[in-house]
Amino acid sequence: MPETLTLPNTPKIHLARYLAQGKDDTPCAPVEVTAPTAVTVAHPVKLTQNTVNGLDSWLLEAPQQVTTIDVPAGFQADTPIVLRGPATGGGVIQIHVGEDAHVVLQERWQADGDVLGVGVWLTADAGATVDWLTYDAFIAPVAVVQRTVDLGAGTTLNWTIAGFSHNSGASLATVNLNGLGAHATINVGVLASGRQHVGYVTAVTNQAQKTVGHINQHGVITDKAHLIFNGIGHIVKGARGSDAQQENRVLMLNQDARGDANPILLIDENDVTAGHAASVTRVDARQMYYLMSRGLQEALAKRLVIRGFLEAGLGEIADPELKQELFDTIDETLVNADA
Amino acid sequence: MSILEIKDLHVKVKEEPEHPEILRGVNLTIKSGEIHALMGPNGNGKSTLAETIMGNPRYLVTQGDIVLDGQSILPLGVDERARAGLFLGMQYPAEISGVTNAEFIRAAINARRPEDDQVPIMQFLKDLDKTMAILKMPEDMADRYLNQGFSGGEKKRNEILQLMMVHPGLAMLDEIDSGLDIDALRIVAHGVNLMRGPEFSSLIITHYQRLLDYIVPDVVSVMKDGEIIETGGADLAKSLEKTGYEHLKVGDANA
Repeated sequence: MPETLTLPNTPKIHLARYLAQGKDDTPCAPVEVTAPTAVTVAHPVKLTQNTVNGLDSWLLEAPQQVTTIDVPAGFQADTPIVLRGPATGGGVIQIHVGEDAHVVLQERWQADGDVLGVGVWLTADAGATVDWLTYDAFIAPVAVVQRTVDLGAGTTLNWTIAGFSHNSGASLATVNLNGLGAHATINVGVLASGRQHVGYVTAVTNQAQKTVGHINQHGVITDKAHLIFNGIGHIVKGARGSDAQQENRVLMLNQDARGDANPILLIDENDVTAGHAASVTRVDARQMYYLMSRGLQEALAKRLVIRGFLEAGLGEIADPELKQELFDTIDETLVNADA
Repeated sequence: MSILEIKDLHVKVKEEPEHPEILRGVNLTIKSGEIHALMGPNGNGKSTLAETIMGNPRYLVTQGDIVLDGQSILPLGVDERARAGLFLGMQYPAEISGVTNAEFIRAAINARRPEDDQVPIMQFLKDLDKTMAILKMPEDMADRYLNQGFSGGEKKRNEILQLMMVHPGLAMLDEIDSGLDIDALRIVAHGVNLMRGPEFSSLIITHYQRLLDYIVPDVVSVMKDGEIIETGGADLAKSLEKTGYEHLKVGDANA
Protein backbone atom coordinates (compact mmCIF):
# COMPACT_ATOMS: atom_id res chain seq x y z
CA MET A 1 0.00 0.00 0.00
CA PRO A 2 2.42 2.72 -1.15
CA GLU A 3 -0.20 5.45 -0.62
CA THR A 4 -0.02 5.06 3.15
CA LEU A 5 3.72 5.82 3.30
CA THR A 6 4.73 9.42 3.93
CA LEU A 7 7.33 11.21 1.87
CA PRO A 8 10.77 11.88 3.38
CA ASN A 9 11.40 15.22 5.09
CA THR A 10 12.62 17.65 2.41
CA PRO A 11 12.20 21.22 3.69
CA LYS A 12 11.66 23.84 0.97
CA ILE A 13 11.74 21.21 -1.77
CA HIS A 14 8.40 20.42 -3.41
CA LEU A 15 8.98 16.71 -3.69
CA ALA A 16 5.29 15.82 -4.09
CA ARG A 17 5.03 18.16 -7.06
CA TYR A 18 7.93 16.45 -8.84
CA LEU A 19 6.53 13.01 -8.10
CA ALA A 20 3.09 14.02 -9.42
CA GLN A 21 4.66 14.60 -12.86
CA GLY A 22 4.98 10.82 -13.23
CA LYS A 23 8.21 8.96 -13.79
CA ASP A 24 9.72 7.80 -17.09
CA ASP A 25 8.88 4.10 -17.40
CA THR A 26 10.22 3.06 -20.80
CA PRO A 27 12.63 0.19 -20.13
CA CYS A 28 16.26 0.99 -20.96
CA ALA A 29 19.67 -0.66 -20.86
CA PRO A 30 20.83 -1.61 -17.36
CA VAL A 31 23.58 0.12 -15.45
CA GLU A 32 26.95 -0.92 -16.88
CA VAL A 33 29.06 -2.39 -14.10
CA THR A 34 32.81 -3.02 -14.34
CA ALA A 35 33.92 -5.15 -11.43
CA PRO A 36 36.25 -8.01 -10.51
CA THR A 37 34.80 -11.53 -10.95
CA ALA A 38 34.36 -11.98 -7.18
CA VAL A 39 31.59 -9.38 -7.34
CA THR A 40 28.18 -10.67 -8.45
CA VAL A 41 26.22 -8.39 -10.76
CA ALA A 42 22.67 -9.22 -11.83
CA HIS A 43 19.76 -7.56 -13.56
CA PRO A 44 16.61 -9.15 -12.12
CA VAL A 45 13.17 -8.13 -13.35
CA LYS A 46 12.09 -6.88 -9.97
CA LEU A 47 13.91 -5.61 -6.90
CA THR A 48 13.07 -6.91 -3.45
CA GLN A 49 13.57 -3.89 -1.27
CA ASN A 50 11.94 -2.62 1.91
CA THR A 51 9.94 0.49 1.27
CA VAL A 52 10.42 2.93 4.11
CA ASN A 53 8.83 5.97 2.55
CA GLY A 54 6.60 7.04 -0.31
CA LEU A 55 9.61 7.96 -2.44
CA ASP A 56 10.87 4.35 -2.22
CA SER A 57 7.52 3.19 -3.59
CA TRP A 58 7.58 5.74 -6.39
CA LEU A 59 11.10 4.70 -7.43
CA LEU A 60 10.42 0.97 -7.21
CA GLU A 61 7.28 1.07 -9.31
CA ALA A 62 8.05 0.10 -12.93
CA PRO A 63 11.75 1.03 -12.81
CA GLN A 64 13.44 1.53 -16.18
CA GLN A 65 16.07 -1.03 -15.24
CA VAL A 66 17.13 -3.05 -12.20
CA THR A 67 20.70 -3.82 -11.12
CA THR A 68 22.00 -5.71 -8.09
CA ILE A 69 25.61 -5.84 -6.98
CA ASP A 70 26.88 -8.19 -4.31
CA VAL A 71 30.33 -7.67 -2.86
CA PRO A 72 31.37 -10.77 -0.89
CA ALA A 73 32.60 -10.69 2.70
CA GLY A 74 36.32 -10.03 2.99
CA PHE A 75 36.57 -8.56 -0.52
CA GLN A 76 39.57 -6.24 -0.84
CA ALA A 77 40.38 -4.09 -3.86
CA ASP A 78 41.64 -0.60 -4.48
CA THR A 79 40.56 -0.56 -8.12
CA PRO A 80 37.05 0.81 -8.17
CA ILE A 81 33.86 -0.96 -9.13
CA VAL A 82 32.57 1.35 -11.84
CA LEU A 83 28.84 1.90 -12.36
CA ARG A 84 27.75 3.80 -15.43
CA GLY A 85 24.09 4.72 -15.67
CA PRO A 86 22.16 4.23 -18.93
CA ALA A 87 22.12 7.05 -21.49
CA THR A 88 18.37 7.51 -21.56
CA GLY A 89 16.88 6.47 -18.26
CA GLY A 90 17.00 6.03 -14.54
CA GLY A 91 16.32 2.89 -12.56
CA VAL A 92 17.12 1.17 -9.32
CA ILE A 93 20.31 -0.35 -7.91
CA GLN A 94 20.79 -2.49 -4.85
CA ILE A 95 24.30 -2.92 -3.49
CA HIS A 96 25.30 -5.28 -0.73
CA VAL A 97 28.77 -5.06 0.81
CA GLY A 98 29.68 -8.10 2.90
CA GLU A 99 31.44 -8.17 6.26
CA ASP A 100 34.93 -6.65 6.42
CA ALA A 101 34.93 -5.99 2.70
CA HIS A 102 36.83 -2.94 1.46
CA VAL A 103 35.29 -1.53 -1.67
CA VAL A 104 35.71 1.53 -3.87
CA LEU A 105 32.63 2.54 -5.86
CA GLN A 106 32.46 5.00 -8.73
CA GLU A 107 28.97 5.81 -9.90
CA ARG A 108 28.20 8.04 -12.83
CA TRP A 109 24.97 9.29 -14.41
CA GLN A 110 24.54 11.40 -17.53
CA ALA A 111 21.07 10.33 -18.61
CA ASP A 112 18.59 12.22 -20.71
CA GLY A 113 14.81 11.77 -20.43
CA ASP A 114 11.79 13.62 -19.04
CA VAL A 115 11.31 12.78 -15.36
CA LEU A 116 13.97 10.36 -14.21
CA GLY A 117 13.76 8.29 -11.06
CA VAL A 118 16.98 6.91 -9.63
CA GLY A 119 17.03 4.80 -6.47
CA VAL A 120 20.15 3.30 -4.92
CA TRP A 121 20.10 1.21 -1.74
CA LEU A 122 23.40 0.20 -0.22
CA THR A 123 23.83 -2.04 2.79
CA ALA A 124 27.25 -2.52 4.38
CA ASP A 125 27.73 -5.32 6.89
CA ALA A 126 29.90 -5.12 10.00
CA GLY A 127 33.47 -3.98 9.55
CA ALA A 128 33.10 -2.99 5.90
CA THR A 129 34.70 0.11 4.39
CA VAL A 130 33.06 1.86 1.45
CA ASP A 131 34.70 4.66 -0.53
CA TRP A 132 32.04 5.95 -2.83
CA LEU A 133 32.15 8.60 -5.48
CA THR A 134 28.86 9.66 -7.04
CA TYR A 135 29.01 11.86 -10.11
CA ASP A 136 25.63 13.12 -11.25
CA ALA A 137 25.50 14.95 -14.57
CA PHE A 138 21.88 14.39 -15.57
CA ILE A 139 20.74 16.07 -18.77
CA ALA A 140 17.02 15.31 -18.26
CA PRO A 141 14.95 18.35 -17.16
CA VAL A 142 13.73 16.63 -13.99
CA ALA A 143 15.36 13.93 -11.88
CA VAL A 144 14.39 12.65 -8.46
CA VAL A 145 17.25 10.72 -6.92
CA GLN A 146 17.35 8.91 -3.63
CA ARG A 147 20.34 7.03 -2.26
CA THR A 148 19.88 5.21 1.01
CA VAL A 149 22.72 3.65 2.97
CA ASP A 150 22.46 1.30 5.95
CA LEU A 151 25.70 0.83 7.86
CA GLY A 152 26.46 -2.00 10.27
CA ALA A 153 28.76 -2.03 13.28
CA GLY A 154 32.28 -0.72 12.82
CA THR A 155 31.73 0.28 9.21
CA THR A 156 33.23 3.32 7.50
CA LEU A 157 31.67 5.25 4.64
CA ASN A 158 33.55 7.98 2.77
CA TRP A 159 31.19 9.38 0.22
CA THR A 160 31.63 12.24 -2.23
CA ILE A 161 28.68 13.41 -4.27
CA ALA A 162 29.51 15.68 -7.21
CA GLY A 163 26.29 17.30 -8.38
CA PHE A 164 26.97 18.69 -11.84
CA SER A 165 23.56 17.97 -13.32
CA HIS A 166 21.34 20.22 -15.41
CA ASN A 167 18.10 18.90 -14.00
CA SER A 168 15.62 20.36 -11.57
CA GLY A 169 14.29 18.14 -8.82
CA ALA A 170 15.64 16.59 -5.66
CA SER A 171 18.65 14.54 -4.65
CA LEU A 172 18.46 12.74 -1.33
CA ALA A 173 21.34 11.02 0.42
CA THR A 174 20.21 9.19 3.52
CA VAL A 175 22.65 7.37 5.78
CA ASN A 176 21.54 5.26 8.71
CA LEU A 177 24.27 4.50 11.24
CA ASN A 178 22.69 1.30 12.54
CA GLY A 179 25.65 -0.49 14.10
CA LEU A 180 27.89 0.43 17.02
CA GLY A 181 30.67 2.78 16.00
CA ALA A 182 29.62 3.20 12.38
CA HIS A 183 31.31 6.18 10.78
CA ALA A 184 30.11 8.22 7.77
CA THR A 185 31.52 11.29 6.04
CA ILE A 186 29.47 12.73 3.20
CA ASN A 187 30.95 15.50 1.07
CA VAL A 188 28.69 17.16 -1.45
CA GLY A 189 29.83 19.62 -4.12
CA VAL A 190 27.17 21.12 -6.39
CA LEU A 191 27.31 23.46 -9.35
CA ALA A 192 23.87 24.86 -10.21
CA SER A 193 23.32 26.92 -13.37
CA GLY A 194 20.76 27.96 -15.95
CA ARG A 195 17.21 27.87 -14.59
CA GLN A 196 17.80 24.79 -12.48
CA HIS A 197 15.74 24.51 -9.32
CA VAL A 198 17.32 21.73 -7.36
CA GLY A 199 17.38 20.60 -3.75
CA TYR A 200 19.87 18.39 -1.94
CA VAL A 201 18.92 16.66 1.27
CA THR A 202 21.76 14.93 3.05
CA ALA A 203 20.54 13.19 6.16
CA VAL A 204 22.45 11.09 8.67
CA THR A 205 20.72 9.28 11.51
CA ASN A 206 22.80 8.08 14.45
CA GLN A 207 20.81 5.01 15.47
CA ALA A 208 23.52 3.21 17.41
CA GLN A 209 25.98 4.23 20.10
CA LYS A 210 29.32 5.87 19.33
CA THR A 211 28.39 6.55 15.73
CA VAL A 212 29.82 9.50 13.82
CA GLY A 213 28.13 11.36 10.98
CA HIS A 214 29.72 14.32 9.19
CA ILE A 215 27.96 16.22 6.40
CA ASN A 216 29.79 18.80 4.34
CA GLN A 217 27.89 20.48 1.48
CA HIS A 218 29.32 23.20 -0.77
CA GLY A 219 27.38 24.67 -3.67
CA VAL A 220 27.99 27.32 -6.32
CA ILE A 221 25.00 28.96 -8.00
CA THR A 222 25.05 31.02 -11.16
CA ASP A 223 22.56 32.36 -13.75
CA LYS A 224 18.98 32.12 -12.43
CA ALA A 225 19.46 28.82 -10.66
CA HIS A 226 18.08 28.05 -7.23
CA LEU A 227 19.90 25.60 -4.97
CA ILE A 228 18.61 24.34 -1.64
CA PHE A 229 20.87 22.51 0.79
CA ASN A 230 19.21 20.69 3.64
CA GLY A 231 21.48 18.93 6.08
CA ILE A 232 19.74 16.75 8.62
CA GLY A 233 21.65 15.27 11.53
CA HIS A 234 19.49 13.13 13.77
CA ILE A 235 20.74 11.44 16.93
CA VAL A 236 18.05 9.11 18.28
CA LYS A 237 17.49 8.39 21.97
CA GLY A 238 19.97 5.84 23.22
CA ALA A 239 22.71 6.61 20.67
CA ARG A 240 25.06 7.70 23.42
CA GLY A 241 28.56 8.92 22.61
CA SER A 242 27.56 9.81 19.07
CA ASP A 243 28.63 12.79 17.01
CA ALA A 244 26.67 14.68 14.34
CA GLN A 245 28.38 17.54 12.52
CA GLN A 246 27.44 19.44 9.43
CA GLU A 247 28.47 22.32 7.26
CA ASN A 248 26.35 23.81 4.46
CA ARG A 249 27.86 26.56 2.36
CA VAL A 250 26.53 28.27 -0.71
CA LEU A 251 28.31 30.73 -3.01
CA MET A 252 26.10 32.94 -5.20
CA LEU A 253 27.61 34.43 -8.33
CA ASN A 254 24.96 36.89 -9.40
CA GLN A 255 21.85 38.76 -8.35
CA ASP A 256 19.40 36.31 -9.89
CA ALA A 257 20.91 33.22 -8.29
CA ARG A 258 19.14 31.97 -5.20
CA GLY A 259 20.51 29.80 -2.46
CA ASP A 260 19.25 28.24 0.77
CA ALA A 261 21.39 26.52 3.36
CA ASN A 262 19.35 24.84 6.07
CA PRO A 263 21.17 22.94 8.78
CA ILE A 264 18.83 20.82 10.86
CA LEU A 265 19.94 19.01 14.01
CA LEU A 266 17.52 16.71 15.79
CA ILE A 267 19.04 15.55 19.05
CA ASP A 268 17.11 13.12 21.27
CA GLU A 269 20.03 12.04 23.46
CA ASN A 270 22.09 14.00 25.99
CA ASP A 271 25.47 12.33 25.94
CA VAL A 272 26.44 13.39 22.41
CA THR A 273 28.29 16.06 20.45
CA ALA A 274 26.76 17.96 17.56
CA GLY A 275 27.40 21.10 15.59
CA HIS A 276 26.59 22.95 12.42
CA ALA A 277 27.74 25.82 10.28
CA ALA A 278 25.97 27.44 7.37
CA SER A 279 26.62 30.38 5.10
CA VAL A 280 25.41 31.99 1.90
CA THR A 281 28.14 34.19 0.47
CA ARG A 282 29.52 35.93 -2.58
CA VAL A 283 32.98 35.57 -4.18
CA ASP A 284 35.73 36.35 -1.67
CA ALA A 285 37.14 39.80 -2.51
CA ARG A 286 40.46 39.14 -0.75
CA GLN A 287 41.10 36.02 -2.82
CA MET A 288 40.18 37.86 -6.01
CA TYR A 289 42.57 40.69 -5.17
CA TYR A 290 45.41 38.31 -4.43
CA LEU A 291 45.05 36.38 -7.68
CA MET A 292 44.60 39.52 -9.76
CA SER A 293 47.60 41.18 -8.13
CA ARG A 294 49.68 38.56 -9.96
CA GLY A 295 48.23 39.63 -13.30
CA LEU A 296 45.39 37.13 -13.68
CA GLN A 297 42.35 38.62 -15.40
CA GLU A 298 39.13 38.86 -13.46
CA ALA A 299 37.33 36.01 -15.26
CA LEU A 300 40.18 33.56 -14.67
CA ALA A 301 40.65 34.66 -11.06
CA LYS A 302 36.94 34.14 -10.44
CA ARG A 303 37.02 30.64 -11.90
CA LEU A 304 39.92 29.71 -9.63
CA VAL A 305 38.20 31.10 -6.52
CA ILE A 306 35.03 29.17 -7.34
CA ARG A 307 36.99 26.01 -7.98
CA GLY A 308 38.61 26.47 -4.59
CA PHE A 309 35.23 26.87 -2.94
CA LEU A 310 33.90 23.66 -4.46
CA GLU A 311 37.12 21.88 -3.63
CA ALA A 312 35.96 21.87 -0.03
CA GLY A 313 33.18 19.52 -1.12
CA LEU A 314 35.12 17.60 -3.75
CA GLY A 315 38.54 17.43 -2.09
CA GLU A 316 38.39 13.69 -1.55
CA ILE A 317 38.30 12.93 -5.27
CA ALA A 318 41.69 11.38 -5.99
CA ASP A 319 41.15 10.46 -9.65
CA PRO A 320 43.01 13.23 -11.53
CA GLU A 321 41.10 12.71 -14.79
CA LEU A 322 37.73 13.00 -13.13
CA LYS A 323 38.87 16.02 -11.19
CA GLN A 324 40.04 17.72 -14.38
CA GLU A 325 36.69 16.93 -15.96
CA LEU A 326 34.89 18.57 -13.04
CA PHE A 327 37.17 21.62 -13.21
CA ASP A 328 36.58 21.86 -16.98
CA THR A 329 32.82 21.70 -16.39
CA ILE A 330 33.10 24.49 -13.82
CA ASP A 331 35.08 26.63 -16.29
CA GLU A 332 32.65 25.95 -19.13
CA THR A 333 29.58 26.70 -17.02
CA LEU A 334 31.05 29.96 -15.81
CA VAL A 335 32.17 31.06 -19.26
CA ASN A 336 28.62 30.43 -20.50
CA ALA A 337 27.16 32.25 -17.51
CA ASP A 338 29.41 35.27 -18.19
CA ALA A 339 28.48 35.38 -21.86
CA MET B 1 64.89 52.18 -17.58
CA SER B 2 61.60 52.63 -15.82
CA ILE B 3 60.48 55.02 -13.12
CA LEU B 4 57.63 55.09 -10.62
CA GLU B 5 56.62 58.45 -9.21
CA ILE B 6 54.28 58.96 -6.28
CA LYS B 7 53.08 62.55 -6.37
CA ASP B 8 51.37 64.24 -3.40
CA LEU B 9 49.39 61.05 -2.73
CA HIS B 10 46.41 61.27 -0.37
CA VAL B 11 44.51 58.06 0.46
CA LYS B 12 41.48 57.02 2.50
CA VAL B 13 39.82 53.72 3.20
CA LYS B 14 36.97 53.59 0.69
CA GLU B 15 34.42 52.34 3.17
CA GLU B 16 35.35 54.90 5.83
CA PRO B 17 35.17 58.25 3.98
CA GLU B 18 34.46 60.07 7.25
CA HIS B 19 37.77 58.93 8.74
CA PRO B 20 40.91 61.01 8.23
CA GLU B 21 43.33 60.25 5.41
CA ILE B 22 45.88 57.51 5.99
CA LEU B 23 48.31 58.95 3.47
CA ARG B 24 48.62 62.73 3.62
CA GLY B 25 50.69 63.79 0.66
CA VAL B 26 53.33 61.18 -0.04
CA ASN B 27 56.08 61.98 -2.53
CA LEU B 28 58.44 59.22 -3.60
CA THR B 29 60.37 58.28 -6.72
CA ILE B 30 61.69 54.80 -7.44
CA LYS B 31 63.99 54.35 -10.42
CA SER B 32 64.79 50.98 -11.92
CA GLY B 33 67.95 49.47 -10.56
CA GLU B 34 67.15 50.94 -7.14
CA ILE B 35 66.33 49.18 -3.90
CA HIS B 36 64.26 51.49 -1.78
CA ALA B 37 63.58 50.72 1.88
CA LEU B 38 60.51 52.21 3.57
CA MET B 39 60.74 52.20 7.34
CA GLY B 40 58.70 53.61 10.16
CA PRO B 41 56.56 52.66 13.11
CA ASN B 42 53.42 50.53 12.87
CA GLY B 43 50.16 51.98 11.65
CA ASN B 44 51.63 54.96 9.82
CA GLY B 45 50.66 54.12 6.26
CA LYS B 46 53.50 51.99 4.85
CA SER B 47 51.29 49.05 3.88
CA THR B 48 48.58 51.41 2.68
CA LEU B 49 51.09 52.97 0.31
CA ALA B 50 52.10 49.60 -1.14
CA GLU B 51 48.48 48.40 -1.40
CA THR B 52 47.41 51.65 -3.07
CA ILE B 53 50.21 51.44 -5.62
CA MET B 54 49.16 47.86 -6.36
CA GLY B 55 45.50 48.92 -6.72
CA ASN B 56 43.79 47.30 -3.75
CA PRO B 57 40.12 48.28 -4.20
CA ARG B 58 39.88 48.88 -0.43
CA TYR B 59 41.69 52.21 -0.79
CA LEU B 60 40.59 55.45 -2.39
CA VAL B 61 43.02 58.01 -3.81
CA THR B 62 41.59 61.42 -2.91
CA GLN B 63 44.41 63.54 -4.26
CA GLY B 64 47.69 63.19 -6.16
CA ASP B 65 48.87 60.61 -8.67
CA ILE B 66 50.86 57.43 -9.19
CA VAL B 67 52.81 57.59 -12.42
CA LEU B 68 54.67 54.73 -14.10
CA ASP B 69 56.97 55.78 -16.94
CA GLY B 70 55.04 58.98 -17.47
CA GLN B 71 51.57 57.37 -17.42
CA SER B 72 49.16 57.58 -14.52
CA ILE B 73 48.25 54.07 -13.36
CA LEU B 74 45.27 55.23 -11.28
CA PRO B 75 42.75 54.27 -13.97
CA LEU B 76 44.21 50.73 -14.16
CA GLY B 77 42.79 47.76 -12.29
CA VAL B 78 44.99 45.62 -10.08
CA ASP B 79 45.56 42.95 -12.75
CA GLU B 80 46.51 45.57 -15.34
CA ARG B 81 49.00 47.11 -12.94
CA ALA B 82 50.50 43.66 -12.36
CA ARG B 83 50.85 43.14 -16.08
CA ALA B 84 52.46 46.59 -16.33
CA GLY B 85 55.25 45.23 -14.11
CA LEU B 86 54.17 45.80 -10.51
CA PHE B 87 54.31 43.11 -7.86
CA LEU B 88 53.35 43.14 -4.19
CA GLY B 89 54.67 40.50 -1.83
CA MET B 90 51.89 40.62 0.73
CA GLN B 91 51.95 40.54 4.47
CA TYR B 92 48.90 38.27 4.60
CA PRO B 93 48.59 36.35 1.33
CA ALA B 94 45.16 34.79 0.72
CA GLU B 95 44.72 31.01 0.85
CA ILE B 96 43.00 29.38 -2.11
CA SER B 97 42.25 25.69 -2.19
CA GLY B 98 41.67 23.77 -5.39
CA VAL B 99 44.43 25.69 -7.15
CA THR B 100 47.95 24.33 -6.89
CA ASN B 101 50.87 26.61 -6.33
CA ALA B 102 52.51 25.54 -9.60
CA GLU B 103 49.33 26.02 -11.60
CA PHE B 104 48.84 29.50 -10.15
CA ILE B 105 52.42 30.63 -10.79
CA ARG B 106 52.20 29.36 -14.35
CA ALA B 107 48.95 31.29 -14.85
CA ALA B 108 50.63 34.42 -13.46
CA ILE B 109 53.55 34.07 -15.89
CA ASN B 110 51.24 33.39 -18.82
CA ALA B 111 49.05 36.37 -17.94
CA ARG B 112 52.04 38.56 -18.87
CA ARG B 113 52.67 36.82 -22.16
CA PRO B 114 50.69 36.92 -25.40
CA GLU B 115 48.27 34.05 -25.91
CA ASP B 116 50.29 32.55 -28.75
CA ASP B 117 53.48 32.60 -26.68
CA GLN B 118 52.63 30.86 -23.41
CA VAL B 119 55.46 29.43 -21.34
CA PRO B 120 56.25 25.83 -22.35
CA ILE B 121 55.39 23.48 -19.50
CA MET B 122 58.76 21.73 -19.36
CA GLN B 123 60.69 24.98 -19.25
CA PHE B 124 58.34 26.26 -16.57
CA LEU B 125 58.78 23.19 -14.38
CA LYS B 126 62.56 23.39 -14.77
CA ASP B 127 62.61 27.04 -13.71
CA LEU B 128 60.25 26.31 -10.84
CA ASP B 129 62.41 23.45 -9.53
CA LYS B 130 65.53 25.58 -9.76
CA THR B 131 63.95 28.56 -8.01
CA MET B 132 62.43 26.43 -5.26
CA ALA B 133 65.86 24.91 -4.67
CA ILE B 134 67.36 28.39 -4.24
CA LEU B 135 64.68 29.18 -1.65
CA LYS B 136 65.15 25.76 -0.04
CA MET B 137 61.47 24.94 -0.46
CA PRO B 138 60.46 21.27 -0.36
CA GLU B 139 59.35 19.95 -3.75
CA ASP B 140 55.82 19.11 -2.61
CA MET B 141 55.06 22.80 -2.10
CA ALA B 142 54.59 23.11 -5.86
CA ASP B 143 51.65 20.72 -5.76
CA ARG B 144 50.06 21.97 -2.58
CA TYR B 145 47.11 24.29 -2.79
CA LEU B 146 47.98 27.96 -2.91
CA ASN B 147 49.05 29.03 0.59
CA GLN B 148 46.61 26.52 2.06
CA GLY B 149 47.93 25.34 5.39
CA PHE B 150 51.30 27.03 4.77
CA SER B 151 53.07 28.26 7.89
CA GLY B 152 53.80 31.97 8.19
CA GLY B 153 57.36 31.42 7.00
CA GLU B 154 56.27 29.22 4.10
CA LYS B 155 53.86 31.89 2.92
CA LYS B 156 56.64 34.50 2.89
CA ARG B 157 58.94 32.19 0.99
CA ASN B 158 56.13 31.49 -1.44
CA GLU B 159 55.72 35.20 -2.10
CA ILE B 160 59.42 35.41 -2.97
CA LEU B 161 59.08 32.31 -5.16
CA GLN B 162 56.34 34.06 -7.13
CA LEU B 163 58.46 37.20 -7.34
CA MET B 164 61.40 35.27 -8.78
CA MET B 165 59.25 33.34 -11.22
CA VAL B 166 57.22 36.29 -12.48
CA HIS B 167 60.16 38.75 -12.88
CA PRO B 168 58.30 42.02 -12.27
CA GLY B 169 59.91 45.40 -12.96
CA LEU B 170 59.03 46.76 -9.51
CA ALA B 171 58.54 44.54 -6.49
CA MET B 172 57.01 45.89 -3.31
CA LEU B 173 57.69 43.63 -0.36
CA ASP B 174 55.47 44.27 2.63
CA GLU B 175 57.15 43.08 5.83
CA ILE B 176 58.56 40.08 4.10
CA ASP B 177 60.81 39.59 7.14
CA SER B 178 58.08 39.31 9.77
CA GLY B 179 57.72 35.83 11.17
CA LEU B 180 60.96 34.61 9.60
CA ASP B 181 63.77 33.06 11.61
CA ILE B 182 67.31 34.17 10.82
CA ASP B 183 68.01 31.29 8.40
CA ALA B 184 64.80 31.86 6.48
CA LEU B 185 65.54 35.59 6.43
CA ARG B 186 68.93 34.95 4.81
CA ILE B 187 67.38 32.66 2.20
CA VAL B 188 64.63 35.14 1.34
CA ALA B 189 67.13 38.01 1.17
CA HIS B 190 69.37 35.95 -1.11
CA GLY B 191 66.39 35.41 -3.41
CA VAL B 192 65.66 39.12 -3.57
CA ASN B 193 69.34 39.94 -4.15
CA LEU B 194 69.38 37.59 -7.14
CA MET B 195 66.71 39.81 -8.69
CA ARG B 196 68.85 42.93 -8.44
CA GLY B 197 69.87 44.46 -11.73
CA PRO B 198 69.35 47.51 -13.92
CA GLU B 199 65.83 46.40 -14.93
CA PHE B 200 64.59 45.72 -11.39
CA SER B 201 63.57 47.99 -8.57
CA SER B 202 62.08 47.28 -5.20
CA LEU B 203 60.25 48.99 -2.38
CA ILE B 204 60.99 47.08 0.80
CA ILE B 205 58.79 47.78 3.78
CA THR B 206 60.22 46.81 7.12
CA HIS B 207 60.36 47.85 10.77
CA TYR B 208 63.77 46.46 11.33
CA GLN B 209 67.28 47.18 10.22
CA ARG B 210 68.02 43.45 10.31
CA LEU B 211 66.57 42.71 6.85
CA LEU B 212 68.58 45.60 5.43
CA ASP B 213 71.82 43.96 6.60
CA TYR B 214 71.10 41.32 3.98
CA ILE B 215 69.41 43.42 1.32
CA VAL B 216 71.43 46.64 1.33
CA PRO B 217 69.17 49.47 0.12
CA ASP B 218 70.18 52.34 -2.13
CA VAL B 219 67.66 54.69 -0.56
CA VAL B 220 65.96 54.63 2.85
CA SER B 221 62.79 56.61 3.58
CA VAL B 222 60.95 56.92 6.86
CA MET B 223 57.20 57.26 6.97
CA LYS B 224 55.26 58.69 9.88
CA ASP B 225 51.66 59.85 10.12
CA GLY B 226 51.10 59.24 6.44
CA GLU B 227 54.05 61.26 5.19
CA ILE B 228 57.66 60.61 4.26
CA ILE B 229 59.56 62.50 6.96
CA GLU B 230 63.13 61.58 6.20
CA THR B 231 65.13 60.16 3.31
CA GLY B 232 68.73 59.06 3.19
CA GLY B 233 71.14 56.27 2.29
CA ALA B 234 71.69 52.84 3.83
CA ASP B 235 73.30 54.42 6.92
CA LEU B 236 69.98 56.12 7.84
CA ALA B 237 68.54 52.69 8.62
CA LYS B 238 71.50 51.94 10.85
CA SER B 239 71.15 55.16 12.82
CA LEU B 240 67.41 54.57 13.24
CA GLU B 241 68.19 51.20 14.77
CA LYS B 242 69.98 53.12 17.57
CA THR B 243 67.68 56.11 17.96
CA GLY B 244 64.25 54.66 17.16
CA TYR B 245 61.52 56.66 15.44
CA GLU B 246 60.34 58.72 18.43
CA HIS B 247 62.50 61.76 17.83
CA LEU B 248 61.43 62.14 14.22
CA LYS B 249 58.63 64.61 13.68
CA VAL B 250 56.28 65.24 10.82
CA GLY B 251 57.39 68.26 8.82
CA ASP B 252 61.12 67.60 9.31
CA ALA B 253 61.61 65.98 5.93
CA ASN B 254 64.95 66.87 4.42
CA ALA B 255 63.72 66.39 0.88
